[in-house]
This record gives sequence, structure tokens and C-alpha cells, in this order.
Amino acid sequence: MIDTFRSLFSPPRHLILLVAAMWVGLALAEKRAERHGISKDMLNNIAYYSILGYIIGGRALYALANFSAFMQNPLSLFSLNLDLFDPASALVTALIVGFVYGKRQKLPLWQTLDALTPFFATLAIGLSLTHLAAGTAFGSPTNIAWGMDLWNATRHPTQIYELLASLLTFGLVWFQKSDSPRGILFLSFIALTAGSRLFLEAFRGDSALIFGELRAAQIAAWIMLAIALFASESIRQRGQVH
Amino acid sequence: MQLIKRRIIYSILLIVGFAWIFVSADKSGASTSGKIPAPQQGFLAPDFELKTPTGESVKLFDLRGQVVLVNLWATWCPPCRAEMKTIEKIYNEYKDQGLVVLAVNMTYQDDPSAIMPFVNEQGLTFPILLDETGAMASAYQLRSLPSSYFIGRDGIINEVVIGGPMAEALLRTRIEEILK
Repeated sequence: MIDTFRSLFSPPRHLILLVAAMWVGLALAEKRAERHGISKDMLNNIAYYSILGYIIGGRALYALANFSAFMQNPLSLFSLNLDLFDPASALVTALIVGFVYGKRQKLPLWQTLDALTPFFATLAIGLSLTHLAAGTAFGSPTNIAWGMDLWNATRHPTQIYELLASLLTFGLVWFQKSDSPRGILFLSFIALTAGSRLFLEAFRGDSALIFGELRAAQIAAWIMLAIALFASESIRQRGQVH
Repeated sequence: MQLIKRRIIYSILLIVGFAWIFVSADKSGASTSGKIPAPQQGFLAPDFELKTPTGESVKLFDLRGQVVLVNLWATWCPPCRAEMKTIEKIYNEYKDQGLVVLAVNMTYQDDPSAIMPFVNEQGLTFPILLDETGAMASAYQLRSLPSSYFIGRDGIINEVVIGGPMAEALLRTRIEEILK
């Protein structure tokens, strides 16, 4: 079954999964938007502008970083090659665009983030599916019975672990009580995502290492987890209730 | 009471999480990239030995120490055809710096009589290799054409680009990065 899935969505078709996740995520977020005091139109606008910022920022900043290559062939700026893209710059641009749009429209930060949480959680599911389809974010070699044959070794099925964790996270945020203080839904999503990454990264076979043998993603995830827990505690203390 | 309970749980979570970072540290090189040959970024490029249309043999392993672009293509594949001129241009610009291009034709699923007319028509000067049995395609787990593998001097795959045609800037940025 996994082989059929991987064959059906082999790169570059795997990106269809991400686009589908965005679409479903936005529809789900819209459904709950008014519960958080955000109109559907506002939610759609902030999502679309951020996605636009992601696409344009990722390509433009990649081109700036490789200026000489693009100067020799400026038309490459409009190439359909998805590899001419810097995902980190794209994400930063999307966040800035979303933040600026929210500020201009005077959208309340925590309510907006809460309203967008189903979108983020669905996107995380889509991302784990793209990893499964492309065979990226692969596990370390293992002898466990549920190991998956990938890249000429039996490996931890880290993409399946990631998918299960993202489905669980989605379930927990989707069914969270609606009387939680503002911001708690979003921070719960961040804490759950960071916590699962912190745990699951240990089974990855492609971890970037720092300080010799520590996995960089785990350290980043621990920091995110700490920030999310402290922030949610601070919100609860301030008693910001609906 | 609930506040204290929550704070205790959060503290335990952070302490256990912090300990987990050290417990699960990659002491034995669990990041296997580079050790196992596999057609994926960070792995050793699977070796192959194929013949050119004139019968000369080319073995990937023998090119260790040079930057190699392995491009899998077929004459019936429009994006493969579209990117050949760009690959030729980049090859001519960077071959003196150590770039080798191996254009592996998927002969087992192509019309062999169409290969050389296409190569001559495009004026391609880099080696054209013939995968007559599909063994190389199988080793590289080919799923889409064209597929390109940028291999560093150490034989490790630096980048995999599935689909095409590749833009000139893409080829240039990847090649320049590996040649550094």
C-alpha cells in the first residue's frame, strides 16, 4: 500500500498533497473562524497573502542569494522549477506578510492564531504525507519488525510516525474545549508539534548534528516546547478568557 | 492546586525532553547518509558501468574526484529534450573546472534508432550512455523523467532534481555550489 502511495505521489507529484492539505486546512479553519471572533474573509485574506508571500519571497530571496546565476539568465526567475526556492526565506516572508496584514487590519493576534490552528495542523499532516511520498525525512536503519525498506536499508518508518503524530495533534486541537483562554489552542498545537518532533527526531537517519552528536532539530524543538509551555502558562495566569 | 499540578507536569516534560536529547544523541552515526549507496541526497551515488553508442565503457566510480551530473533521459520525453541544450551550455562553461556530465538514455524504454539523430541535432558533446537493460534505472529507483543527480567529488549525491526542464540558473547554482 505504501509502495502504491509512493509511486502515485512520487516527486514532483508529492507537492499535490501539500496543496490539498492547504485547501482542506483552510476550509476547516474557515468553519471554526467565527468561534474565535475572526471573519471568514479575514482568515482567507491573511492565508492567501501569506501563501503569496511564501511563493514570491522564496523565489525572490533565492534569486538574490544567487544573483550572478540569475543575472546570466534573468528569465530563470519565472522558471517553473520548484528547486529554485529557499524554503526558510519563504517562511520568514510569509510570517512577515501575515503579521503586517494582521496589524493593518487590526486583527487580534492570539485569536487569529487560534483561528488558523486547524490550517497549520492540516498542513503538518500534508507535510508528513509529502515526506512519505518522497522518501525524505527518513529513519535510521533498524531491525524492528515494522521497519520500512527505503534507500537500500530497513529503516524506522519515521514518515509514518510523523503522520500519526500529526494526526493525533490535529485530533487534540480540533476537539479541544472551546472555552480555553485565547492563544491556548495555537500554543497547544506548537507544544504538541515540538514535543513530537523532539521525540521522533531520535529515530531519523538524516539529522543535522551540532556539538558533535546532538540533533539540531531536537534542540530547536525543545526550545519551541519551552516557549509554548511558558507562554500558555503566562496566558492562563493572566486569565485571558473569552 | 491545578496550577501547581500543571507546572509540575510542564517541568517534568521539559526535563525529560532535555534528557532525551542526550539519550538519543547520534553516538553511533545513525545518520547513515554517505555510507549506503542510494539514489537520495546525502547518500553515496549507486555505481554503474554503461556503454556509449560507440561501445566505450564508462564507470561512475572511476570519476571519483570530479563533480558529476548524471541526467536520466529519453528521446520521447519533451522536458528531457528541452533541457539538453542548457545542460550542454553549462557543461561547456564548467568542464574545465572538473564538471562531468553523463546523460544516461533509458534505452530499454526508448527507440535506439532515435538516440544519435537527436544527439547530433542538439550538438551534444558530453558522454551519452545507454541503459539497455534498465539496471541503472532500477538502481536509481527511477520514477519520473528527466531525473538529475548532482554528485560531489566524494561520490555523495548533493542534490536530486526530479522533473524538468531544469532552468539555467538551477544548473548554474547547483554546479557552482558543488565545485566550490
